[in-house]
Amino acid sequence: MPHDLTRRRWMLASACAAAGAGCSRRPLPGREPRVSVRKASYGSGLLETVREVLEEHKVPLKDRHVVLKPNLVEYDESTAVNTSPQLVLAALEACRGLGAASVRIAEGPGHRRPAWDLAEAAGYFGAIGGFEDLFVDLNLDEISNVTLAKSAPGVSSLYLPHTILRCDLVISLPKMKTHHWVGATLGMKNLFGIVPGQVYGWPKNILHWAGIHESILAVNSAVPAMFTLVDGIEGMEGNGPIQGRRKHAGVIVAGADRVAVDATACRVMGIDPGRIRYLRMAETAGQTEEGNVRQIGEEPRAVRTDFELIPEFRRLRLSPA
Amino acid sequence: MTYAGPVTAETLLAAQNPDGGWSFARGTSATEPTACAVLALAAAGASGEPVQRGRGWLLRIQRPDGGWPPRPSIAQSNYVTSLALLALQGNAASDVLRRGAEWLLNQSNRDASTIYRIRMMLLGTRRDLPSEEAWSWFPSTAAWVTPTALAMLALRPWRDSPLREPVRKRLASGEAYLWSRLCRDGGWNHGSSKALGYEADSYPETTGQALLALSGTRDERLPRALAAAERHLRACRSAEAASWLQLGLLAHRQPLPSVPVHLSRPRTVLDQALSLIAARAAAGQNPLLEAAHAA
Repeated sequence: MPHDLTRRRWMLASACAAAGAGCSRRPLPGREPRVSVRKASYGSGLLETVREVLEEHKVPLKDRHVVLKPNLVEYDESTAVNTSPQLVLAALEACRGLGAASVRIAEGPGHRRPAWDLAEAAGYFGAIGGFEDLFVDLNLDEISNVTLAKSAPGVSSLYLPHTILRCDLVISLPKMKTHHWVGATLGMKNLFGIVPGQVYGWPKNILHWAGIHESILAVNSAVPAMFTLVDGIEGMEGNGPIQGRRKHAGVIVAGADRVAVDATACRVMGIDPGRIRYLRMAETAGQTEEGNVRQIGEEPRAVRTDFELIPEFRRLRLSPA
Repeated sequence: MTYAGPVTAETLLAAQNPDGGWSFARGTSATEPTACAVLALAAAGASGEPVQRGRGWLLRIQRPDGGWPPRPSIAQSNYVTSLALLALQGNAASDVLRRGAEWLLNQSNRDASTIYRIRMMLLGTRRDLPSEEAWSWFPSTAAWVTPTALAMLALRPWRDSPLREPVRKRLASGEAYLWSRLCRDGGWNHGSSKALGYEADSYPETTGQALLALSGTRDERLPRALAAAERHLRACRSAEAASWLQLGLLAHRQPLPSVPVHLSRPRTVLDQALSLIAARAAAGQNPLLEAAHAA
């Protein structure tokens, strides 16, 4: 039964997507990666929705040390740059309710140094009780050097934060946004935030010089156990990931196969995932093709909300349904 | 008025690790908070044994290439070299300081290289490339505002040294780089005032840093930059950013706006040290500029 994943199989599915481990280019029948698309709002039902999603994917949480990795970039109240604190709160409470041994919230913003102040301005302190004791600034965390399972040109190892290296599971909580260099930024690109600024700077420019697409794969290869929960309730269109406009899509997109989740989120945004280079490079089981992903909940085409694309990326537009 | 929070020298002294260094918040010692704590404590008059142990920690971790790593366990010098030099100016052997200064002089931003610029032109890439030599966070990457501002502060004492020729050239180039990165609102962000042709706005902390590094310079754009800094400070909620803005404005002898602000609590050693440094600057002694003139 594909729904009856064991913990071992769950970890394998997540790790294969992380490392590009040479799996077949098509999933075996009944073994398609599963991605949930659920209609959602930042209202009171969000906790229940997140909890249901975690349960339907049998995310191994009991007695596990979990890190929630939102996307905190800058603060601009006129748009939707950062992962909503309401979604982070829902994930926190859901993980606790499902028996996690500990849950931390951790991020290393790429442009602005004062991460705590950024979190405060973005409403995290107000929304999440005890936030100060839960938050880790990954830019300033204790670090160790890690040889990457998948290297990028000139980058075969990275210093990475202990908070990430020593946890059992990372839950990537990206904002659904367009991105002016790679087309779309979702769960995989969100992991740029684990690379410590204290070594590489603000921005973590070594990743750009190594090639952004290649670096996305390299950083992901250092995080084998990851679940992705995309904040697509309100995203950003146009000149993302910072200067775009708020875009309501009204969904969360989630799953253990990070490539399949990002590909599905692209379809919701009206972006062809097969034209996003890092997704094509990362796919291990044809996840950029819709037929190779088993959708749970809403069909992506039913909730598709085309995000405006800057002229340089209009070629990424998904064909009309 | 001063915007410094309730931070005192004792706050920093209590946070010193047994090895003489400081961590960012808790844990092992790191170069950046140690250098800033030493600068802050020395400026506050606490020049005794804790400051000496802090300097000793910095001296022990200088790398053979002359630069400083962000932590002792990291086999790579980076931007923190500028802060270590500032903290040690006038209080370390001349050879130690000279090797550090030479490391900074040997660092150049990859995006200003002729080969790279030709390559980007041939590829038709629309990038806002600098032509000026400046400084990167990490070797062999692009130039950015913060590491450039810090390197300029660290190299200023060397303007009249045997290294004066390359130092003066790099300071002039750094200054030109900073002005080339000015945002449409008159301030500075991390160093990308345009991305794919889209104009970007400035950040408070980098605006303060750039103004501090441009202390003593003249430019027709300066009044607009000072106005941007003042605007940022009036709206600022970040203790770290407010400290840099104060330092930048005071470096140009500007009065600080006397508006009530609701600043965040200085949470890290870095925030606390910067608050103390800014408080000293408001009292008439800017430790970052005076450290820069001490050699």
